[in-house]
Amino acid sequence: MNDLLTVENLNVDFLSGLMRVEAVRNVSFTVAPSEILGIVGESGSGKSVSCRAVLGLLPGHARVNGRIIYDGKDLGAMSANELSLTRGRDISMIFQNPSSHLDPLMTIGDHVAEPLHYHFGLDKKNARIKALELLDVVKIQNPEQRYTAYPHELSGGMKQRVLIASALACQPRMLLADEPTTALDVTVQASILELLKSLNRDHGLSMIFVSHDLGVIAEICDRVVVMRGGEIVEQGSVNQVVGNPQHEYTRLLIGSQPGRLDSYNQPSHEGHALLEIEQLSVRFNDKGGLGTLLGGRSRAVNALDNININIRSGETFGIVGESGSGKSTIARAVVRLIEATSGAIVFQGKLVGDLKGLDLVEYRRQVQMIFQNPYDSLNPRASVRQTIAEPIWRHGLATQQDANERAIELMAMVELSENLANRRPRQLSGGQCQRVAIARALALSPRLLIADEVTSALDVTIQAQVLKLLARLKDSQDLTIIYISHDLAVVRKFCDRVAVLRHGKLIETGLTDKVFDQPANDYTRTLIDAAPELDSALLNAAAL
Amino acid sequence: MTDVATFTPQRSTVPSAGKLEIIIGSAIIVTWLAMALGAQWIAPYDPNTISLMDILKGPSLAHPFGTDHLGRDVLSRVIFGARIDIWMGFIGVLAPLVIGVTIGLVSGYFGGFIDTFMMRLVDVTVAFPFFILVIAIVGVLGPGLSNYFIALALVAWVAYARLIRAEVLVLKRAEFIDAARALGYSHRAILLRHILPNSLGPIVIYAWTDAVLVILAGASLGFLGLGAQPPTAEWGVMISDGQPYVIQAWWICFFPGLAAVTLGLGLILVSDGMSRRMRIVQ
Amino acid sequence: MQQLAYIGRRLIQLIPVLIGISIISFLLVKLSPGDPIRLLLGPRATDDAVAAVRITYGLDEPLLKQYFIYLGNLLAGDLGRSLRYRIPVSDLIVQFLPRTLFLIAYVMSLTLPLTIGLAIVAARHQGRWLDQVIRIFSILGMTIPVFWLAVLMARYFGAELGWFPVSGWGSGFMSHLHHLFLPALSTSLWLIPLLVRNLRGALIEQMESDYVVASRAKGLPESYIFRRHILRNSLLPTLHLLGVMIAFLVGGSVIVEIVYAVPGLGALMVGSVIGRDFYVVQGLTLVYAIGTVLVTLTVDMLTAVIDPRTSA
Repeated sequence: MNDLLTVENLNVDFLSGLMRVEAVRNVSFTVAPSEILGIVGESGSGKSVSCRAVLGLLPGHARVNGRIIYDGKDLGAMSANELSLTRGRDISMIFQNPSSHLDPLMTIGDHVAEPLHYHFGLDKKNARIKALELLDVVKIQNPEQRYTAYPHELSGGMKQRVLIASALACQPRMLLADEPTTALDVTVQASILELLKSLNRDHGLSMIFVSHDLGVIAEICDRVVVMRGGEIVEQGSVNQVVGNPQHEYTRLLIGSQPGRLDSYNQPSHEGHALLEIEQLSVRFNDKGGLGTLLGGRSRAVNALDNININIRSGETFGIVGESGSGKSTIARAVVRLIEATSGAIVFQGKLVGDLKGLDLVEYRRQVQMIFQNPYDSLNPRASVRQTIAEPIWRHGLATQQDANERAIELMAMVELSENLANRRPRQLSGGQCQRVAIARALALSPRLLIADEVTSALDVTIQAQVLKLLARLKDSQDLTIIYISHDLAVVRKFCDRVAVLRHGKLIETGLTDKVFDQPANDYTRTLIDAAPELDSALLNAAAL
Repeated sequence: MTDVATFTPQRSTVPSAGKLEIIIGSAIIVTWLAMALGAQWIAPYDPNTISLMDILKGPSLAHPFGTDHLGRDVLSRVIFGARIDIWMGFIGVLAPLVIGVTIGLVSGYFGGFIDTFMMRLVDVTVAFPFFILVIAIVGVLGPGLSNYFIALALVAWVAYARLIRAEVLVLKRAEFIDAARALGYSHRAILLRHILPNSLGPIVIYAWTDAVLVILAGASLGFLGLGAQPPTAEWGVMISDGQPYVIQAWWICFFPGLAAVTLGLGLILVSDGMSRRMRIVQ
Repeated sequence: MQQLAYIGRRLIQLIPVLIGISIISFLLVKLSPGDPIRLLLGPRATDDAVAAVRITYGLDEPLLKQYFIYLGNLLAGDLGRSLRYRIPVSDLIVQFLPRTLFLIAYVMSLTLPLTIGLAIVAARHQGRWLDQVIRIFSILGMTIPVFWLAVLMARYFGAELGWFPVSGWGSGFMSHLHHLFLPALSTSLWLIPLLVRNLRGALIEQMESDYVVASRAKGLPESYIFRRHILRNSLLPTLHLLGVMIAFLVGGSVIVEIVYAVPGLGALMVGSVIGRDFYVVQGLTLVYAIGTVLVTLTVDMLTAVIDPRTSA
């Protein structure tokens, strides 16, 4: 009985009208002192709910059953008051989206000082001294200066550090981390993971680390619990679970990791140039209007700075970069959702920027785009069939009736069952929505398909399916694909050539394998090293 | 990606939320509509027949709502009054709605100079207290219902324009609008087929509440002598007529006001119910 | 420094709005179908006399020039002369203004504590019977015609029970409070429901926000979270609404001033409209608009002080 936390037969359901919906069933696990336990699962697996249930942080309509024993104390049997004494002091928690978990009207110093004040009764001065130390521990530079800053003045990574400092202020022995790095860029993620590891190493902090990303889990956790549909599928040490998965779902999950996917990249491909991007620059002007006269700043942002890329017919070209790198801006400039400030985009010998009227319509027929957010990219009021048929009849390629029939064929092509034809996006899963978006883009039989982060909102098993579909369609429809992603592992498997972007500048470009194996640029190397990847994480763990 | 929100069912927590309000509200509205349309058959007396024999009679079987200072039957006047007040609410909402939605849609979607100009105009218009500007315009043009409608068309569109513009600005950033543009759809198609249907929700909800506002403001004008003119049976005018006699004959004022409250209740209930349903769907 | 820059920007934005306001109030009189000069001089004035006055007022000039004359007069503080009272409109307004301001302040001091109290109770009992009662009350409040409520209250509390005077505004502070109690109460009863609805919504939205969960995870007590985090964040949208409501309240005060015969700006406004005293209507409309603009400005500045994001 020397476990720090024991969860036994945890059941959670939510009241929905007169019905109860089960979210977690019979979940049991333990965390030893100084151990990091990972909980991995896809959306709907119940991993976050299990984690929140430990601290009693579920909304009022949730019903929690089961025993939650922390250090001999039964948290489930505690009154609200006793529980709030445990929170922060014994167990604390950090969350996925640091921005929304900080009070926008409170300085970051006060965020860290307030639990000190409440749990330890420190006065303002001493709380401040302690808070400054904590900000230093989580590696916030110039804590004195930053103390009075407000959350909106900090970057996402910084905010997560503040949240960590504030959670750890009262020296809890255990930290619950609910997808703490999911909203962050890979390099920032790497540094936050490093921070959490050092807290575990130096202070013996136990952790439950919840994530959808097995690569991240492998990097930081000792043991892992795999969840699906509210139940635990399998648990054990990371090496054991990954190396010798017992359950079919665990095998599927591991097999869907980008690093384990079949490689679709065909580096030998040599086609003629389909799209040439020459010295492309895009600047966004923040219009200040009259206000700029009086101290208002007019900001001009260089979203893209002198980009040169050639895309050959028939290839899959990857564009990678972190947020703010300008990768999506390229896509939007190519399909003319935004105008280039300078430079040229040439498609099959024609200057895209000069296209007007029917020429532009014709261009749009040949170049199509699919977007990141599966629900947001479909008109919520249109049925699947209407959405797919609309481009066909609007372009005058068929009557509305024929277009509707063609839509059914397109649905079959993207492996959507015909009986979904009358559903609205809200009644579909994320993966199904993304298939609809692909069918809509292919309705006009384009030559070039631009996929902008199309799988980043999807679960990893669904991502594997969508990638497979795209690869098949690329061959059968004779497509050229520009694949934009922040996920280096996916790009490596999927793209023939790749361009790396940072702050609007092209860092390097070349054959995918070459760029990944022998990056010419330091930033590229940092990016590759920072990206969590299942197998390399296991190798690292083994080496330690 | 995995938030607790994912587990609370997306469709609805209470499947019938808002339904009850909508049913009760619609029933009230339909009842009033029926009374307004069938006034000549339902009302027991002619609303304008003066009967000096029956001055200031309290509620009785013959006159359930009593009679006024000219011996007119208050119940009949309340029923006929529904015609005027419902008409006021209908036109007074429809005209600003159409104007506001058109302006908001175009200015939000295209942006640029039109947008700047329109939003300045909105800023200036909302600088005037709504009721004051209406009184001033009606006052200058002359009292009467049609001038009230003109004043509303000049003033009340701004609320709709602002609401829909805000919706359009959000929708413009939605990926399905980008997708529609990338698919080469015309501006017309995007505006009418993709943006308008998705931005009308809050407008419709607001319109029901606005109808209450318009009816109450119209009745207020009637009360001040600037709206519908006597001897028209309009609820505000009736309350104004009854005010001098309110001490000995409370019913002249009481029932028209009650009528306005019940009609308003129906409208607000529908608005409330719809906004609850919409919140759930989102 | 950032906040100063924000205030500066905000002041510059006022200029076009103020110009717009002056244009609208100028056009207001131009819209009128009658001839104001004939009204001024009375029905027996000769055509020559009318023409002479027309020239002195500059009414034969082109519209644009007339506007600039009007604007010049405005900047010099000249709002024209009342046709009925035969004194400058500005004097008239200065004379009537304090009563309306008193009424508005009275209404606000009745409204605010009740609004905040009821909204907090409703939000904390969300979905339970107390919340439902408050909700029904707030729906009813929105549908009640203020003038109707005012007339009935005057009859019951004034005439029947004799607790309060039903007209005029008395002399001396205590007498003002006594005289204006019913007018203020009937306006409040209409205003409170609107504000409660909004503040309740804002509170509930904040109560469900992520930073509240994070504060709980740190073990902060619920009462502290409510006071320090939820309330402060909900006040921002309500502050904004309050600005809008004051503009509304100004409209509402017109009608209670009439019902209770309070000699304030609203009574002056309606009297001038009915008496076709256009320069007073024009001047009042302008003053009301400028008042609203000042309120909005104050609200924006307060928001900028509370919310560090505003001036960024």
